Parts: sequence; structure tokens; C-alpha cells
Amino acid sequence: MNEQPVMVFRDVTKVYPLPAGGVTALDGVSFQVDRGEFISVMGPSGSGKSTLLNLMGCLDIPTTGDIFISGSRIGDMSDTELTCLRRDRIGFIFQYFNLFPLLNTLENVTFPLMLKSGKKADTERGRQVLRSVQLEESLYSHTPTELSGGQQQRVAIARALINDPDILLCDEPTGNLDSKTGAGIMDLMTELNRKGTTIIMVTHDPHIAEYSKRTIRIADGRIES
Amino acid sequence: MSGGIFWEIAKRNVRIHLLRSSLAMLGIIIGVVAIASMGILGNSLVLTVSDSLKTVGDSVIVTPHVGGNTRGFGSGGGGASSLTLSEQDFLQIKRVSAPNLAIPVLQTSDRMQLGVGSDEIVAAVYGLNPDDVPDLLKLKEGGYSRGNSGCLVGSTFAKDHNVKVGSRISIGTDGNKGTLRVTGIIEERGMAFDVSTDSAVVTTKDWFDAAYNRDSYDKIVVKVKNLDDLPVVKTAIEKQMNKRDTVVDVMDTRKTMDTIFQAFGQITTFVSAIGGISMLVAGVSILNIMMMSVTERIKEIGIMRSIGAQRKEVMAMFLYEAIILGVVGSVLGGVMSLIGGYAISTLMLQTTKYLFVPSSLIHIVYGMTFGIIICVICGIYPAWRAANLNPIDALRHE
Repeated sequence: MNEQPVMVFRDVTKVYPLPAGGVTALDGVSFQVDRGEFISVMGPSGSGKSTLLNLMGCLDIPTTGDIFISGSRIGDMSDTELTCLRRDRIGFIFQYFNLFPLLNTLENVTFPLMLKSGKKADTERGRQVLRSVQLEESLYSHTPTELSGGQQQRVAIARALINDPDILLCDEPTGNLDSKTGAGIMDLMTELNRKGTTIIMVTHDPHIAEYSKRTIRIADGRIES
Repeated sequence: MSGGIFWEIAKRNVRIHLLRSSLAMLGIIIGVVAIASMGILGNSLVLTVSDSLKTVGDSVIVTPHVGGNTRGFGSGGGGASSLTLSEQDFLQIKRVSAPNLAIPVLQTSDRMQLGVGSDEIVAAVYGLNPDDVPDLLKLKEGGYSRGNSGCLVGSTFAKDHNVKVGSRISIGTDGNKGTLRVTGIIEERGMAFDVSTDSAVVTTKDWFDAAYNRDSYDKIVVKVKNLDDLPVVKTAIEKQMNKRDTVVDVMDTRKTMDTIFQAFGQITTFVSAIGGISMLVAGVSILNIMMMSVTERIKEIGIMRSIGAQRKEVMAMFLYEAIILGVVGSVLGGVMSLIGGYAISTLMLQTTKYLFVPSSLIHIVYGMTFGIIICVICGIYPAWRAANLNPIDALRHE
């Protein structure tokens, strides 16, 4: 089981149908992500990066080709099954943190846990994950607006980790942070990867990409290297 | 379903937009109050009327046919000038109505004097067989009179003319029909179809026959023991008496009352429906703020969906919000209806005894139920919209 790749793209094409004819965003993309890898995906805007991210995050399904997440083919999954896959297998980290303003730190972090269990949050698990992203205990009852950008991103990382995902999917995780805070977040990600978390990070910042062990470059819907 | 956290978010969202939520709730409150208070008012009116009518709901009343031809052969007799029912008619009615009790009633009105030197008044005088009286009339005070020198008086009569048990009443101009002693006061009966005794004097049949020289009856009241037999008795009497010509008119009191209550019921429904329109307007405002709530939280919906919230969970979150608005608004509306109903009852009916009865209070339940249902219905479309947003588009929404 552990030898199985966490993500496989096999000749994946994504075409967006438009009235003026279809737009091919991804054209025959194939790659594989093994457990424990730290990969950055780079490419200029319009290269198909966002489309790739949506497919990796099971938010969309390919037009042709196959995508396997932890061995399951997502092509013919229902919306409910895809949602469960996102909830249980994938941790999302966004550029704008995207915490829920109505919930406090601990509630934000345990939200996916509650989605999964259908029960009231296990706050001890939440505290444990928050400690692992090095967030002070005193901030656990604050709302997102009371936190700094770096703190918010740490909460977001904790939320992404709480269901023990196979893949941590990051979209410009430092894009909205100053370089010093960004470096702190990247150090944390490196630490998480060292402990075994598989990370795929979409970025256009070469300095940030340097933290990863492998880089996938994409242009015009194709993988360059 | 992880109802807990979505319920919590819905609750907080209502609280954070308190003004907006309150305004939407105000609409629901007004709707509930309108429906409930209209219903309570209508029901109170029905109860007021039925209270004064209900004593007569178990009778079939037989009267001579009015406006018909002169009577056929054989059954004549009695006063030639006024229409009456003969002893023979009575016996026939009694036979077909058995085992129900047929009570012959004599009635007129006459001058009378209460004590020497007092003013003469005019009041209704009934003549009843002493054996029948206990079945027809209940006494408030005193006892039934057996002898021909005794009489009963109605409660209004007693109150208006300060008559007590033992008082004497001289009947007729200058008391020429004789003087009677009051042996009992009849309990209030209200407006009745059979005998309206509240402002009348009830004498014995023998005294009445002698005083007014009568040997026939004005009407016959059949007291039906089992209410379901009313139509049967009515039909039986009609069949027996109106074989060739229409000799008698037969009235089923319950049917008459049913018609009256039906009319009241329709009025109540109509005014409640007007209240219902205000509830629909409130529903539109709920729809409006729910759409607003969805629109301003598109991004949040996108995040929820991307990290694993199911469609039905997002839908539930918005429905919870509509339910909170509906339930809080309806409960407040219910409380205010009670206060409003109390005020209306006090002002218009001068009594609140018809407010705290199930048939009035049920209108508050109707209003509240309708309020909650409207809120949920108006929340369904916005919630459905939210649940079916494309997560990618929603996530990109700024």
C-alpha cells in the first residue's frame, strides 16, 4: 500500500467547451507523485497551472485520460465521492488563507474533522495539530481577523493537516505574505515533508520553488520538464 | 451530517447581521400576528354566539305551516284566527317521535303587574305541561311549580323587574287573568329556537288553557336524546304530518346552528387569508435576505466545498438560517398574538374568556406553523443555489 503512488496523471487532457470552440487547457499531461515527495509546479499565467491544480484537488474531472488519487480513479466519481476524497485525502492551502470568519482558530482547524466524523469537534486533536504548526495556545480562541497573515496561514495549514491527508496541495502559500513570514511558512512545510507529508505546491516564485525536491514546469498545457 | 458546526455557523451569521435578520423577522412577526389575531377574533365571535345558542342544539321544532292553504278536513279546531296544532296533531307527532320526548308549547304575550300599584309591563307567557318542564328548563333558584297558582320566570325577567322566589305577578289587564306566585327562576338560556324564557313567565298548561281559552298548541318541541337521530325524527314527522298538504314546518335546530357557524367559519377563514397575504410579503423578504446571504458568502461556500463539505451540508446551513429566522420570528409573533388577542378580546368582546380555549389558541399555532413553513419554503431556493455552486467558480469569486 505504501509503495502505491499517491497521485498518477495518465495522458490527461482538459478542454473547456466555449461557444467559439473548445479551449484546451491541458494537453496530454502525464506524471506521478510518490509518497513523501515535495514537488513544486511552476509556469506562467495561462499555462494551465490552475486547471492542473483543480484536477489535482479533485475539484474537476478530466475530459480524457485518467487521474488516480491514492489508487482511486476520479474520472467517473460522483460529486459526493469527489467531495469525500477532498475531505479525507487532500489538504488545501490557499494564497488568501481562506479561513472561515465566523469560526475561531480551533473551530476552523477542526472543521474538516467535524465534516468527516459528523460529530462535535475533538478539540484535543485540534490543539495537537495547532501545536505542530507552532501556533501559540493563546490564539486558539481568536477569530481569523484577529490574527496576522503568517498566523492565519499556520491555522490554514493545521486545518489542511487535521484529517491526515495523503497530499498537501498548496496554491501560492506565501503569495500573500512578506518574505520573512513566507520563509517561516516554507520552513514549516519543509519540516512537515521531512516527517513524511507529501506536498505539491503551485507557485511562480523561483525562490519558493527552491524548497521543493522536484519541479514540474508547465507551459501551454504541456509539461516541459 | 455534521449538523452541529453548520447550525453554529448559521446561528452566528444571523447574529452578525442582526439588523437585517431582525427586519426580516419583523415581517414574519407581523404575518403571524395578523393570521393569529384574526383567527382568535373570529373564533371568539363564534364562541360568543354559540354560548347563547347551544342550549337548543338538540331539538326538532314543529310549527304550523305558515303561508299555506287552510287546513284540510278533520283536523280543524283551535283558534280560527291563528294557526295552531291540535291535540290530534300532537299525538301523531308524539307517536312518530317516540322514544324522544315531544313537548307541546303554548305561548302568547300579555300585560302583567308586579305587585299592587306598580307599572304594567308586557312579557311573553308560556304554558307548559308541568311534567315536561324539568326536561326543558333548568332552574337557578326555587322549585318547579306543580299547582296552577305557581309560575316560573326567566332570569333576565327576574333581574330586570326585581322578582324573587315568592313574588307575585298579576297577569292580564288589571290582573284579570289571575295572580301567580313565582316558585322558581329559570337559568339563562340565551336566544333559543324552542322557548325563549329569559324574559318570560312560564305557567302551567292548565292555567294557560283556562286563562286564554285554548285547546291547541303553538308549537311542539321534540327533545332528541341522541343528536344523530335529529334528521331521522325530522323526516319521520314530516312524512307523518305532511302527507297530502304541508301542514307543519319542521326545523332541525342543529342544522340551523350549523349554517350559522359555517358562515362564521367562512368569515374567519377570509380574514385569516388576508393575514396570510402579509405572511407572503414576509416570505419575499426572507427570500431576499437569504439570496443576499448566499451572494456575499459565495467564496466561503467555495472554501467549504473544496475542503470537503457536501452539497447537502451547505444546503442545510442556509436552511438552518431560514429556520432560525422563521422560528424566532414565529415565536415572537405567537407571543405578540396572545397579547394582541387579549387586547382585541377586551376591547371588542369585553371578555377574554374565549381567548384561552384550545379553539382560539390553535390559531396562534396555525400562524406560527405557517410562518415557519413560509420561511423554510423561501429558504429552499437560495440554499439550493448555494449548494449547487461550482466550487471552482465559487473559490475564485471575490
